Amino acid sequence: MSWVRVCAADEVSKDTLKVFKVNGVEILVANLGDEHRAYPPVCPHMEEPLEESGMCAGGILTCSKHLWQWDMRSGELVHAAEADEENERLLLMYDLKREGNELLVRLDHELEYDYGEDEDE
Amino acid sequence: MAVVKGSDAGRAAVRATPSSSGTREGVEGRPDIPDVTVQSKADNYSFHCETGSNLLFAGLREGVPLPYECATGTCGTCKARVLEGDVDRGWPDAPGRAYLKAERGEILMCQARAHSPCTLRVPARLSAIPYPRVPDFFEARVCAAHPLASDVMSFVLELEHPLRFEAGQFVVLEFPDIAGGRAYSMVNYAPVTTRLEFVVKRKPGGELSNRLFTDPIEGRTVRVFGPLGKAVFRPQEDKNLLCIGGGSGIAALMSILSRAVGEGYFGAHAADVFFGVRGARDVFYLDRLSAVAAANADAVRVTVALSDEDVPSALAKRYPQLRFASGFVHAVAAQRMAGRFENLVAYLGGPPPMVDGALRMLILEARLPANCIRYDKFS
Repeated sequence: MSWVRVCAADEVSKDTLKVFKVNGVEILVANLGDEHRAYPPVCPHMEEPLEESGMCAGGILTCSKHLWQWDMRSGELVHAAEADEENERLLLMYDLKREGNELLVRLDHELEYDYGEDEDE
Repeated sequence: MAVVKGSDAGRAAVRATPSSSGTREGVEGRPDIPDVTVQSKADNYSFHCETGSNLLFAGLREGVPLPYECATGTCGTCKARVLEGDVDRGWPDAPGRAYLKAERGEILMCQARAHSPCTLRVPARLSAIPYPRVPDFFEARVCAAHPLASDVMSFVLELEHPLRFEAGQFVVLEFPDIAGGRAYSMVNYAPVTTRLEFVVKRKPGGELSNRLFTDPIEGRTVRVFGPLGKAVFRPQEDKNLLCIGGGSGIAALMSILSRAVGEGYFGAHAADVFFGVRGARDVFYLDRLSAVAAANADAVRVTVALSDEDVPSALAKRYPQLRFASGFVHAVAAQRMAGRFENLVAYLGGPPPMVDGALRMLILEARLPANCIRYDKFS
């Protein structure tokens, strides 16, 4: 396991999302106010780039594409369009720690979503 | 064997799969109406795809709950992967293709057509919850058209057969000599009707909208597919309404207001309507909005926001029932709704930057729950 620096904590202001490239892997860093969290850069629903489509408020991430929402601390789906309510896609998270003003993530491998494309293979 | 045709067919994977297509002929004796099977994370569905229909419409009209939003090639929501069969991808420049992995044989169902029996996979769990109405094809004729503002036109279609739709829904219109379909929300509302009213804004470079403004279109035939869209008014929710519309995006909101007025909804509920346009020369429907505000004086407040100029005093004087403000419509709404976001459902319609601005305001500032925000994404 290896901890790698992503960015300085003050590079991501409160309730915003920003993508950083670390060892060739894109990482989305969010500032929840009292802590930072790190995620894959795309929406678990339809791969929308969250730096553009994502909204962060009160610890809830909302993708503006279809208004799916996740709890940014637990990763649990909070709201999905009614047509998809059985869907249980979690928000994936990298372990993140803060050392002074530096944010580090544990990057063993890139976290990627299963969009249900490979089940026939 | 999956054969995917289209401009980038060279990059589409041709995959060998266990084939059963040799034994299927679709509708008996009609090889021109191939069978389509859709696999999803939950159930699998089958439907027939008639010549001339794209895969999305063919499935929806048989009640298959396929995923979609814009139904016109832009949003990417209806993407699917061709596992087997001969499928033409359709519109090569569809903006929604940005969401596809062509090398995986992905298509937009709203653009693609089946030339043989085929099997698709959608990366979603199709819901057993049906859409508000099962859509179908309708033949129609333009029976009236007239300008509403400098670059805004109203037109009315008379359908051959009555359509049943929900307030807030849209249809896709196909004109015989113009490639592709265009989505328009109904302005009027009736539970079942042969008359559909639309509003269209002239878009720079927009083939259909330019044609509407330059050619006489009365009497022309149109193919209609609908109703579509999930951003519908549900009176049983028993909530106040917040309507934020920009330009021709006011259409669906007019339909919702029309139903609410018709059913006496404002006896026990309120509505705040914010209508954004650039300037005084771009306003329309102000007489109708005035009439709604006047007839429901305690319940309905209508504010017209001009983004590019101060409010001319003559305009405010002419419409004493309406309120006017200068600024972007979502910013005006945020200011005038401050502290009043409880117990309401918000309906949005308009150009993508306006809808995005309104969404950000409602989620980030007003902290409205996502299930209280309704719009159909056209981008």
